[in-house]
Amino acid sequence: MAAVTTMERTAATGGPPMPERKWVDVGGIRTGYHESGRGEPIVFIYGGNFGTADSASSAFTWNLNMAPLAERFRVIAFDKVGQGHTDNPLNDDYTMQAVVRHAAGFIKALKLPPVHLVGHSRGGFAAARMTLENQHLVRSLTIVNSGTLMPRVGTNEVVLGKPPFAPYTRECARWVYENYSFNRAIVTDAWIDAVMETLDLPKYRESVRKMVDEGFGTTRFAPNLARDKRETLQWLRDGRLQRPTQIVWGFNDRTATVEGGFALFEMLAAHERRTQLHVVNESGHFPFREHPERFNALLADFAAGFAAEGV
Amino acid sequence: MSAITRTTIDLGGRRLSVLRGGQGAEPALLLHGGVPGVTPYCSGAHVWARYLPFAAAERHVVAPDLPGFGDSEGGDEPCRIDALARVALALIEALKLGPCHVVGHDQGGLVALSMALAAPASVRSISIVASPAAAPTGDSVENVTLANPPPAPWSRGAQAWTLERLSHDPTHIDSALLDRCAACAELPAHRQAVARAGETAKAFAASAAKAKGDFYTVCRDGAFPVPAQIVWGADDPMTTVEHGRVLFGIIAERQRATHFHLINRAGSFPFRETPAAFHLAVGAFHRGLAGAL
Repeated sequence: MAAVTTMERTAATGGPPMPERKWVDVGGIRTGYHESGRGEPIVFIYGGNFGTADSASSAFTWNLNMAPLAERFRVIAFDKVGQGHTDNPLNDDYTMQAVVRHAAGFIKALKLPPVHLVGHSRGGFAAARMTLENQHLVRSLTIVNSGTLMPRVGTNEVVLGKPPFAPYTRECARWVYENYSFNRAIVTDAWIDAVMETLDLPKYRESVRKMVDEGFGTTRFAPNLARDKRETLQWLRDGRLQRPTQIVWGFNDRTATVEGGFALFEMLAAHERRTQLHVVNESGHFPFREHPERFNALLADFAAGFAAEGV
Repeated sequence: MSAITRTTIDLGGRRLSVLRGGQGAEPALLLHGGVPGVTPYCSGAHVWARYLPFAAAERHVVAPDLPGFGDSEGGDEPCRIDALARVALALIEALKLGPCHVVGHDQGGLVALSMALAAPASVRSISIVASPAAAPTGDSVENVTLANPPPAPWSRGAQAWTLERLSHDPTHIDSALLDRCAACAELPAHRQAVARAGETAKAFAASAAKAKGDFYTVCRDGAFPVPAQIVWGADDPMTTVEHGRVLFGIIAERQRATHFHLINRAGSFPFRETPAAFHLAVGAFHRGLAGAL
């Protein structure tokens, strides 16, 4: 058995705090983000979406990766439109297209040179789509356990449907992330604290009202995403994605199974020589939280390997 | 960048030729593949030439000509996996490398597995690279990649043909590689190996079956004792991606730190065909285990 590493012990106690939140206006949307370090920029896009009451993602998802990677890179994690501390979409545009537009707008607003983009889960779809539409903004792409992007059947509704706890509660959020994970102990109080902070924001509750009570989730978001996904997969099969791409997959994810990672690799590898797949054992949906040290080393090397002066 | 030098190590009377370079803690030991006198190219430490500079830039790295290959004589017995593992462990002892990261290509991957089982305290991690030798076969389909070689065996031309057939991208087959392969064919170790190729093929196959059996049993009934990474070329003429996945799954069952890394557009020699991508996988794995970037 491998010894429990320093970082894993840190993770058990919550890990390092996020750098202080900054704000930037992205096309009229007040956007919260965290930034640390110097060097080539790595930009993280987390998963989930607005208007969910069982759990809520935010930039804190990356707290085990920000500080270590900041030793070599300028690392940036922002809150997507409608999520975390960032404003809700303008004109009730609760769609993935709005998320993608906002992500591109954020990178432009910060005037970043081409970034190493890392997208997890639904953020993996946003990252890939943003790259397809804005290849000049991206130097390399890392996709992590993205059921939304993979050309296979996701099983989120099976694994995470009907939580046995009430929405907006710590217990419910904990249940969701524990079911996502291989090792339930990685779901720390600090992580749940961050989820509750988002769930308690009035503007976030407003997004839940729109998505759930007014039905935007089923009438707008889902059909829009289905259309977007069909087009995005077609673009990938056409070979439009022309950036070095590594796919990182937790082997034991029950929602986005590893077959999806292999299928995605095949689609991308057919057209882009610089494609890699990396599978991490004893990891569920969040390999960057279950094995932060090995994930960070992998990401650092990939970003350095395809740095401005690299291949 | 650190220089790579060739030296001879005396292992209790047995002379082993090794390539060495770099410095630092947690060294890496690179074990080439092949069966002496049987595999139709002259394998040896030189196959690592395009990867050694990457490895040596961050740690002490040692790549031996295993007994029966290159400048290392084979001894009196035909080549066997368990004997190769003993020699490699003796080399770790002699050079005080342990615990070190062992990286093994094809048959070398099976040697690495055997070392980890025999002496886990000497092995920090293993990386098994493009290793049909270590993967389960089941009732396998015949692989005809090397079925019809041109004459003459172990000529420069015939070895070039073999290396090209094993590769996805043959541009790594440079004159440095072919010169060394052709030169190795003239060395005493190789001549001796060819003279007893039939005996070696039989003994080696039996030892490989035993080593695999021991490995599968430990993974099934216990747990593989050290962190492991499987590195596979997505376009390897000698094996399928599924073979690599199955090998990963066997170890992953009870070894927490297990990774699978698939490299696009690489055949049997990812460390030569795509050395930067190969280093990205192996270097990050080694540093990640130490919690270092």
